[in-house]
Amino acid sequence: MGTDAVVLGAGTAGMVAALRLAAAGASVLVLAEGEGGLPLAPAQIDVLGYRPQLVLDPLGEIPGFLDSRPDHPYRLVEAAEVEAGLDWFLELAAPLGYTGNPHQNRLQPTAVGALRPTCLVPETMAAGDLSGGGSVLVVGLKGFRDFHAPLLAENLALARPPSGAEVRARSVEVSLLGDPRDLRPQLLVRRLEERPVLAELGREIRSRLEQEDLVGVPAVLGLERSHEVWQRLQELVGRPVFEIPTPPPSQPGQRLQQHLFRALRRLGGEVRLGARASGYRASGDRLVAVKVVTAAREVEIPADRFVLATGGIGTGGITAGPEGELREEVFGARVSRGGAPEEPLAEYMATQPLDRLGVEVDDEQRPVGGAGGALFENLWVAGAALAGAEPWREKSGEGISLATGYRAARLAGGGRA
Amino acid sequence: MNTWDTDVLVIGGGSTGAGVAWDSALRGLHVTLVDRQDFATGTSGRFHGLLHSGGRYAVRDPGSARECASENRILRQVAADCIEDTGGLFVSTPEDDLEYADRFLAAAQAAGMEIEEVPVGVAVRDEPRLNPKIRRAFRVQDGSIDSWKMISALLRGAQDHGATVLPYHKVVQVIRRGDRVEGAVMEDQRSGEEVLVHAGCVVNAAGAWSGQVAGLAGCEVGVRPGKGVMVAINHRLARAVLNRCHLPSDGDIIVPVRTVSVIGTTDHPVADPDDTECSPAEVHQMIEAGELLVPGFKESRALRVWSGSRPLLPKTETSAGAGDREVSRSHTVLDHGARDGVEGLVTIAGGKFTTLRLMAEDTVDVVVRKLGREAECRTRTEVLPGSESHHFYWIGNRQQEAETDPPDDPLICECELVSQHDLDTVVARRPNWRLDDIRRALRVGMGPCQGGFCAFRVAGMLHQGGRYGRAEANSALREFVQERWKGVKVISWGAQARQTRLDRWIFEGVYDLEHLPE
Amino acid sequence: MTAVVWGAEAWAEVRSSLDRCIKCTVCETACPVAAVTELFPGPKTVGPQAERFRTGDHSPDLSVDYCSGCGICSRVCPQEVRIAELNSRARAELKRERGAPLRDQLVARPGLLGRAGRPVAPLFNWAMANPVIRWAGERTLGIHHKAPVPRSTTRTFSYWVGHHAGAKSARRVVYFHGCSTQWYEPHIGQKVTAILEHNGYQVVIPKQDCCGLPLQSNGLFPAARGAVTRLARQLVPGGTDDLPVISSSTSCGLMLKREAREILGADSPELRSVSQRTYDIFEFLLELHHRGELRTDFKPVPLTVAYHAPCQQQNQLIGKPALGILRLIPGLRLVELDRSCCGIAGTYGVKREKYEIAMRVGEPLFADIQAEGPDLVACDSETCRWQISAATGATSVHPLEILHRAYGGS
Repeated sequence: MGTDAVVLGAGTAGMVAALRLAAAGASVLVLAEGEGGLPLAPAQIDVLGYRPQLVLDPLGEIPGFLDSRPDHPYRLVEAAEVEAGLDWFLELAAPLGYTGNPHQNRLQPTAVGALRPTCLVPETMAAGDLSGGGSVLVVGLKGFRDFHAPLLAENLALARPPSGAEVRARSVEVSLLGDPRDLRPQLLVRRLEERPVLAELGREIRSRLEQEDLVGVPAVLGLERSHEVWQRLQELVGRPVFEIPTPPPSQPGQRLQQHLFRALRRLGGEVRLGARASGYRASGDRLVAVKVVTAAREVEIPADRFVLATGGIGTGGITAGPEGELREEVFGARVSRGGAPEEPLAEYMATQPLDRLGVEVDDEQRPVGGAGGALFENLWVAGAALAGAEPWREKSGEGISLATGYRAARLAGGGRA
Repeated sequence: MNTWDTDVLVIGGGSTGAGVAWDSALRGLHVTLVDRQDFATGTSGRFHGLLHSGGRYAVRDPGSARECASENRILRQVAADCIEDTGGLFVSTPEDDLEYADRFLAAAQAAGMEIEEVPVGVAVRDEPRLNPKIRRAFRVQDGSIDSWKMISALLRGAQDHGATVLPYHKVVQVIRRGDRVEGAVMEDQRSGEEVLVHAGCVVNAAGAWSGQVAGLAGCEVGVRPGKGVMVAINHRLARAVLNRCHLPSDGDIIVPVRTVSVIGTTDHPVADPDDTECSPAEVHQMIEAGELLVPGFKESRALRVWSGSRPLLPKTETSAGAGDREVSRSHTVLDHGARDGVEGLVTIAGGKFTTLRLMAEDTVDVVVRKLGREAECRTRTEVLPGSESHHFYWIGNRQQEAETDPPDDPLICECELVSQHDLDTVVARRPNWRLDDIRRALRVGMGPCQGGFCAFRVAGMLHQGGRYGRAEANSALREFVQERWKGVKVISWGAQARQTRLDRWIFEGVYDLEHLPE
Repeated sequence: MTAVVWGAEAWAEVRSSLDRCIKCTVCETACPVAAVTELFPGPKTVGPQAERFRTGDHSPDLSVDYCSGCGICSRVCPQEVRIAELNSRARAELKRERGAPLRDQLVARPGLLGRAGRPVAPLFNWAMANPVIRWAGERTLGIHHKAPVPRSTTRTFSYWVGHHAGAKSARRVVYFHGCSTQWYEPHIGQKVTAILEHNGYQVVIPKQDCCGLPLQSNGLFPAARGAVTRLARQLVPGGTDDLPVISSSTSCGLMLKREAREILGADSPELRSVSQRTYDIFEFLLELHHRGELRTDFKPVPLTVAYHAPCQQQNQLIGKPALGILRLIPGLRLVELDRSCCGIAGTYGVKREKYEIAMRVGEPLFADIQAEGPDLVACDSETCRWQISAATGATSVHPLEILHRAYGGS
């Protein structure tokens, strides 16, 4: 009775670990202080984009990358397992139409118009790979503050993919049916699910098209009905349409989160939000339970196996104090700076003190304990909680979370108690 | 070269210069004011925002205390929109000498301050975060003053009376013929073009930089920059200004100004007033000091840290005291004709924000005498633009406006409630805005996210509106991100550390700013 | 923050939690109200963001009144910002300053309404079902004419308790039944008692009044504080100060567990003690089950039941224990409804200006229920059950009614 596995954290790494464990037959409870990075992230699956030069074959270049960054979390996972994780994800996320090749990065435009390497994308972004060039009409929506089509298009037109192919871009701005005012994303995304609004948008774009062969729009094409909205818009416009990620909140991220939460529920697992782990109980080197603060009191949740996927500084999995003290919040696991400097650098675009922070683990992804062995034999770490990566600069975040979450589940999956 | 004549050329667009421009313009003089950067970027835009009651100087510098008390009353009449009537408390913490409190009360009364001792229980009830272990409390007329708003109102008032004001115009040459200063050449820092202004009198109102400006005219002014560090805390920890009732030292004032609380300050002599680096040690000193007034201060979220340089006058320039906090924080008008035999140049040195009006009055009194004009000072009663209703600014103003009259356009800065309409209105005032100038005008990027969300919106909108070209928009965005980092990098702990992670995610992960074309 | 703090400290902690907001907007994407109306700009906007503009002397904003108080924002926030709690406080300030309309004062006093309705229950129910009278009610009281309202009863729960010869046992619990059981649904209390007695417990049912929640959600804090402290005293009759306190009303249970301290800033020795010992009925039963002490002598219940976990139950942060118990019942086909909020949020959805918003909030849930076409909808919260039934026509029950039936009850 009770729970086989407790996963702390409901971001990509936590959900991957939870889904793999549940698929292997474990009863899984995900405990999280709140929603993780998923609803904020562009929902593109980065594996490796810069090392620091542009990476074209992410899987193929990981070994070379590790030569210069031996502390990087990718050291923990065999290339075959990274690939297996990505393949599994493609299958899992098939209803969202995820596509891509682990050996071939795509170059997709960002909201400011940089051409950014990423590996797997949902169907709504698939047409936006400009590796081979292309001619794009970038469509802005009047009153939507997080997308500036003219700047995007002008920057994009200067992009030169390594193929040498030409990227051309032009922008137009359209108004949604009688609504030029402040388009808050949570309302906008639902408005676009209304057929008349979408039809009007489609007509408007079509009338403004010249010889462009692609149409780029902000990533707000519906939430629950995104497939239908995206497909319908392509029909209306008569060209492939792709979404360009906006700053948070991310609608594609919410779609992916919803999908992962539901998938876990179907496997009998549970995601409990608002329930931050406040401590633990151990017996020798075995973790017995985590403590959670409910509305009334602290309670213990016993389980056989535990995965720590609470992320780093950004999500509060690790905290930094005024004197530079660093703390992993649940287990007090040892935290490493991953080779980043101790003092901040003046130049923002550089490796800063908090950039590679994370929990120090052994080869089995278990936090390192006092004597150098594992802190607990039944606790594994995955995702952004691991030290050594600079996910946003490298474009490696989802790949790390997928690979280490996938592997953590495998390591935790053997031998049900 | 573009050339014109003016009665008074004011060098320096901080509080002193803006005050001099307003005073001179009201007296019917034609004024030209120049600053090497945007206005209020020197010391004036880098202080804690305290409108002194005089209490801070009461015991040690009674003259300054009296000036503050009387100027405070005048500013409340003429500049209400720039002032928030927070009131202030001087409290004896467990570490403060109770005997000092008696001396303080007597000195404050002697300086003409309105002061009232309140029971400790009442003070703690009114200020729930105040240290309950305080032993005495005095209520005074401290307030908080928005330096950017104030300086902008002074300059707008001066312009309404015919003044010409030029930001980003750096003095490259002071025109001196024999022993007479006749004007100056300024270089436009953005276009590189030069302008020549002939002036009846040049006023050196460059504050901590006035030694440098005087040097261009071959004069010496021994101003010593004294650096003070300030830390902004994410929300208001108190309704009133909280002061420790003791001999002024480091980190003993917490000022609720706009949406934040500012703790200040330190005092270190520096060679160069442009030295604005803040060390982690200085920051920790502030944070620790805050605990004494507000227990739990350390756990509050530090938003940003900055420093400014006071224009301190050593005793050779004044008659008073010794040692930085020992010198008078009063001001001196240096008539270089009488002092150095160089006519046509007046330096206003020393002083502080609260007494800016008096400093201007004293300066322009000398200027009109030198110009042989007769005109009475009008700034005691003339109300500044924006303050006509005599309503003090209230922290809830923006929120209330947004609620009662919801803007019909996107909100671009959620932290400080700035709409696209606000942005359009401000940028229409003059050409060539940097994002950092817009920040000072609107507070865009000054909230918790420190530009994480709004910087892109502003750059994108200004590009779309034709005010920025593509490359300009890109570099504006990069420059702003870099500028914000400067004030955050040494306080990357707690919630602000989390914020720096999210901001980095947005800039590098979502936008890939690092690989954006130039 | 593992320690539970009380009194002024509790509120200070809630307020200073605004410092943890990094503007990530997760709460705004999860807010069911902001998703359907422009009138509510979102929990971050009216919460940690607006709080920086509030000094406590005058409320600068009004739109916080459109927050339904469902608490989803606090639950999804990855930074532990007490968003819903901040908003509740701000709403209360607004009402304190501008005065609560008569309607808020009325719906906030279910005892008053219940008492007023009871002696003439058939007439009251007829009146509530009569569109003409409901229109008049909307005009004069601001209660929407279509809003779900409970049916009053002629026999209160305490009347039944007075005639119930409970079993004696060494294992005892205190039962906190709440107003809706007392005035509208006494059968819920009877079934709770039966289930607990079936499991060998003696059920102590002290006389008890309102927990103050409706007063709180309408911003009437001093009255709410008085109510909850009085209730805590009532729930500690002689010799019971270490017994579990079982609640069958999710929102009233949450009031005792957390809201009294975090939102109202209420504090008393009895309240501290009761709060710490309060259990949702299914939370308690599931713990029994985990200890192997729950009787599982279930009869098959051959029904399809769609279960909706109400917000205030989710806010207890105990998962969905009702599912854990109902899954044990043979023959039962259980469908977990995967929607966050039905819209009613206590008394939010009965107000004239909010009725439409509440209905739109609930739409996805209603659509799922209609698509599923279950025999019964199970939901732990009374107001949510009324909303679901009114909106979908489905019969809704407390999940414990299904358990009661599995134990052989009728």
